[in-house]
Amino acid sequence: MTVGEWVRNTSVYRSVIRHGIAPTNRNRSLIIFENLFLHVHPVKVREKTLRFTHTFWLGGITLATTIILVATGILLMFYYHPSVPQAYRDMKELQYVVDNGVFLRNLHRWAAHLMVFSAFLHMLRVFYHRAYRPPRQFNWVVGVVLLLLTLLLSYTGYLLPWDQLAFWGVSVGTNMAKQAPLVGERVRFFLLGGNIVSENALLRFYVLHCVVLPVALLLLISVHIWRVRKDGGVQGPPDDERRTP
Amino acid sequence: MTTPIEIIDSEDPLANPWRVALVRPDGRPAVHETDERYVMTFPHLILREIIMFQIVVIALSLAAILFNAPLESIANPVETPNPAKAPWYFLGLQELLHYFPPVVAGVVLPGLVGICLVVIPYWRVNLEGAPLWATPSRWKAPTIAASVILLSILFVAFRCWPIVIPTVIIGVAMFAASWARAGSRWQWLWGVTLPEWIMTWFVVIAVVLTVIGTFFRGPGWMWVWPWMDAPRG
Amino acid sequence: MTLRRLFAFSSLVFLIVLAFSPVKNALRPYRALQRQFRLLGISRATSAKAREMYSSRPIAIEQIWLPELNDHVDRCTTCHLGVADAAMTGAPQPFRTHPPTFHTPQDIQRFGCTACHGGEGLATDQADAHGTSPDATTPIFPTDFVEAGCGRCHDADAVRDAPTLSSGRALMAKSNCFACHKARGHEDFRADAPPLDTLPMKTGAEWLRRWLTDPKAVDANATMPNFQLTGDDIKALSHYLFGRTVPPQLQHAIDLAGAEPPGDSARGKTLFAESRCISCHTVDGKGNGSAPELGKIASRASRGWLVAFVRDPHAFYPQTRMPRYSFTDADVRDIVAWFEDELRDFDAPANILVPLRVNQTFAEKGEKLFKSAGCFACHGGMKEGERFGPDLYGIGEKKATSLDFGKRTDLKRTLPAWLEAKISTPRSFATGLKMPTFAFDAAQKRAIVTALLAIPSTPVPDAYHSAPPQQAAIVPAGAVGEIMSRYRCLSCHQIGSRGGDISTAPLTFEGSKVNRDWLVRYLAVPYSIRPIIAERMPVLKVSKEEAALLADAIAMIYVDPSTPDDPFAGRPASDRDTAEGERLYTTFGCRSCHIIGKNGGYYGPPLTETHARLKPGWVFRFLQNPQRWRADVRCPNYGMTDTDALRLTAYLETLAEAPAPPVPGAGKEAVK
Repeated sequence: MTVGEWVRNTSVYRSVIRHGIAPTNRNRSLIIFENLFLHVHPVKVREKTLRFTHTFWLGGITLATTIILVATGILLMFYYHPSVPQAYRDMKELQYVVDNGVFLRNLHRWAAHLMVFSAFLHMLRVFYHRAYRPPRQFNWVVGVVLLLLTLLLSYTGYLLPWDQLAFWGVSVGTNMAKQAPLVGERVRFFLLGGNIVSENALLRFYVLHCVVLPVALLLLISVHIWRVRKDGGVQGPPDDERRTP
Repeated sequence: MTTPIEIIDSEDPLANPWRVALVRPDGRPAVHETDERYVMTFPHLILREIIMFQIVVIALSLAAILFNAPLESIANPVETPNPAKAPWYFLGLQELLHYFPPVVAGVVLPGLVGICLVVIPYWRVNLEGAPLWATPSRWKAPTIAASVILLSILFVAFRCWPIVIPTVIIGVAMFAASWARAGSRWQWLWGVTLPEWIMTWFVVIAVVLTVIGTFFRGPGWMWVWPWMDAPRG
Repeated sequence: MTLRRLFAFSSLVFLIVLAFSPVKNALRPYRALQRQFRLLGISRATSAKAREMYSSRPIAIEQIWLPELNDHVDRCTTCHLGVADAAMTGAPQPFRTHPPTFHTPQDIQRFGCTACHGGEGLATDQADAHGTSPDATTPIFPTDFVEAGCGRCHDADAVRDAPTLSSGRALMAKSNCFACHKARGHEDFRADAPPLDTLPMKTGAEWLRRWLTDPKAVDANATMPNFQLTGDDIKALSHYLFGRTVPPQLQHAIDLAGAEPPGDSARGKTLFAESRCISCHTVDGKGNGSAPELGKIASRASRGWLVAFVRDPHAFYPQTRMPRYSFTDADVRDIVAWFEDELRDFDAPANILVPLRVNQTFAEKGEKLFKSAGCFACHGGMKEGERFGPDLYGIGEKKATSLDFGKRTDLKRTLPAWLEAKISTPRSFATGLKMPTFAFDAAQKRAIVTALLAIPSTPVPDAYHSAPPQQAAIVPAGAVGEIMSRYRCLSCHQIGSRGGDISTAPLTFEGSKVNRDWLVRYLAVPYSIRPIIAERMPVLKVSKEEAALLADAIAMIYVDPSTPDDPFAGRPASDRDTAEGERLYTTFGCRSCHIIGKNGGYYGPPLTETHARLKPGWVFRFLQNPQRWRADVRCPNYGMTDTDALRLTAYLETLAEAPAPPVPGAGKEAVK
């Protein structure tokens, strides 16, 4: 009896994981539908959806970056104070004192860029594959809102290091918002908590970045994926052959 | 005793949907045939998902180890960098500001793009996927030509060359597609639908504007070549 | 099965990649350095206890936290572990003990490291801490400019133990940098360049052309920089300057002086030497050099102008530092006659002093140029608080990436390199730049770059700020004030925090220092007190009445309240032991610098006439602490006891020459 077998026979293990390991289709099915997270999948999938060119995995990559961002983001929150000048000092502390601090910050930053990029590509892919056709109209709209949330998350996070890049990037961006007729000035005031980018703006962006927007994003991602499942799984290229002249 | 459950007996299939298929008198009882192969989600899909996730983490980790996230000196409201740039995904918009009045570049154009994206599925855009030149119509070519020319003139009026040039190129490509012959290398061009042409136009412009804003703009939003040492003022 | 193999492979890569960062973290260089330091410490330890201390040192980040300096944190001591450790003297870097300075090693916990040296205190790796990476925020000051750090806290123009910084600051003021550039503490700066009103009667077109082409080539003492004007520019400016109206009374004075008969050149030569003009001017390079070179003066200015000017320089040039000598009309004629005979440019063309016939079109162009080139910043016309050039606020903290290197692709992309190039060849960065070229030598450049690097964007907090002690500078009004202004005492002497530094004798407490009668005689006919010093008091031909008035005022006003009138009051009689004092004089080796009678050194003033010149209270206080009034006094501080100082004072008081004849009017003049 190997150690693995012994572990698998303990009552604790069996209380957590109820299916056996024998490579039977029954066990494979149990893996999927006895697991809350994997349950989003059907037990069987169409083989052609596994092809890389079917979706280019763009939605999956976007979701993967989201998971990475949540994980690194929570770790970074342990070291961050949304105040001036401590916010900037915290960036230096991450760089020079915190173990793996640079790595965490870099990973968060690059994952954020990749998320914006892959979400945009995902949208293009869905458009060119005409995967928004009924009954998926609403899921397309959810996707557009998710893209918007992604941009807002990236943008609010951009201010948090409180360096020159952050300050002027956000100043330029919010000055654009000011141009909206009637509501522009008010929207900007509401976003920044004042007329200039200041400590108030930092706090607002922090709360948006770490609570409001991520919660909204995760909720909508759930809706998005749930809809995909309900509508019969991922939609690849349209089946109809392109006609030739 | 319990009251017996009332059973509504009806012949109306809509009121009592207990059916496998509804065959309309004018249709044929043929079901869309799928001879697709199904595979078990575990391991086929799950493993692929994990590998994909691992590849993303590996790629990002390597990037995180090799390239440090930028961190400049502490924010200083007095010292304005020249140029002050927004994050890269907004640089297309910032580049638009260079050509259009702020209201147009900052509100109207992005608003239009947002609305267009939302209405795509509801306006039944591109549902059939009919290639642009599949259905001959005497008004199609003149309308498209007029639209391309009008748009070009509009953007020329604003001296917005990064939009004019893609507009002209896409316009020419649309007409070139009509001449693409079956079996030639350009056959796929013929199959492109009108909404796809428009989306491509939008994507090319967005990419061109973002690339220009990111790499080709220096102090005072003047044109610079990224490989030359940017003069600072 | 290929899928499973792929999964196994990607999992392996996944784990390896995720291990990179922790491994990198564990191998951070400071850890290795700290282990190295532990071994070095153990090998250098002299006691078992010290050895134990080194070996039990934890591997950890060290820091100095300065709550009062904007919560500053310096982690330099994470690697520089031996800065305050005497056992590490001469150890290899980064462990070496800090060389002793005014603030080290005892103040390291108060100032940290980057407050003086620059650099990024928070960093724990070398490139970021020293700021050698191209986008570093605050690079460390290079060794050449290390004194810039002193200037961040010390505002004084002269900072003790920081000669480069001090000379840089002095040079910046002298070069009139602040006439064009705003800088904190120099907002009220006014350039003292001469007014150009009398230029049409002073000089000629050819001389002006030479001057504008390169002032330093005409006069090595010139403070005016080279504006690199083109021939057309010079032409336009000349027409403008020669077209200016000379004020009528000056025109009259120059005309009259020009019409006077020539003077006695030989007598003029004697007068010139006696008056000690070269305490400020130079003749063929000999002299102090803070005023124009006179070697070719007669080819620079017309005779009439020179005569009128020397008679009353203040009418021509109100802010000049030149005193109005009490020469007779004949004296001035004779001196100028000597100028014309000897001090002229014998190679100059005959027309060097021929004025220009003004062309109005050129003059208008010249007037525009006078403004656009910034001439008015020094030569008058600049509005209060306005400056021609960019501000210097925060120039010492500018990031290299925000600097405009323009055409200078040859430079290192650092702030010191940029600054040095800016002050060497300001116009080499781009066309159309306006800053003129100063002919600074390498040491001067280094000094100025040091002074510039010392200018922070925000001043240090008050707890660290060291402002120069502002001493009240009392200059009386009325008759005495007029005399002091006439003879421009403040051009050479310091009073409080004001005044020039040509003389080593400040007047702040002169009344407590010298005897009134001696001062009256000295003012009438000054002589060399310290022969070793080239800059001697000019013979200003002060009248007896003026001298008496001035001496009375000095005796009344410039008094140090801590200097006793009679230091022996209330002391035991043994403190007056002159024999013991004489013994002390020998013991302390005073002879090596001072002369008594015929023996002694030349560095300090002779003491033969101490009794006549100096007040005993002052001598007593001086002996206790020679640097009491002036930090750069070379006389050593022997830390004498009161008794020793009094005995030495008593001995010096016995020294006197034959009594001088009484001075008329002593003590009778009232001071307004």
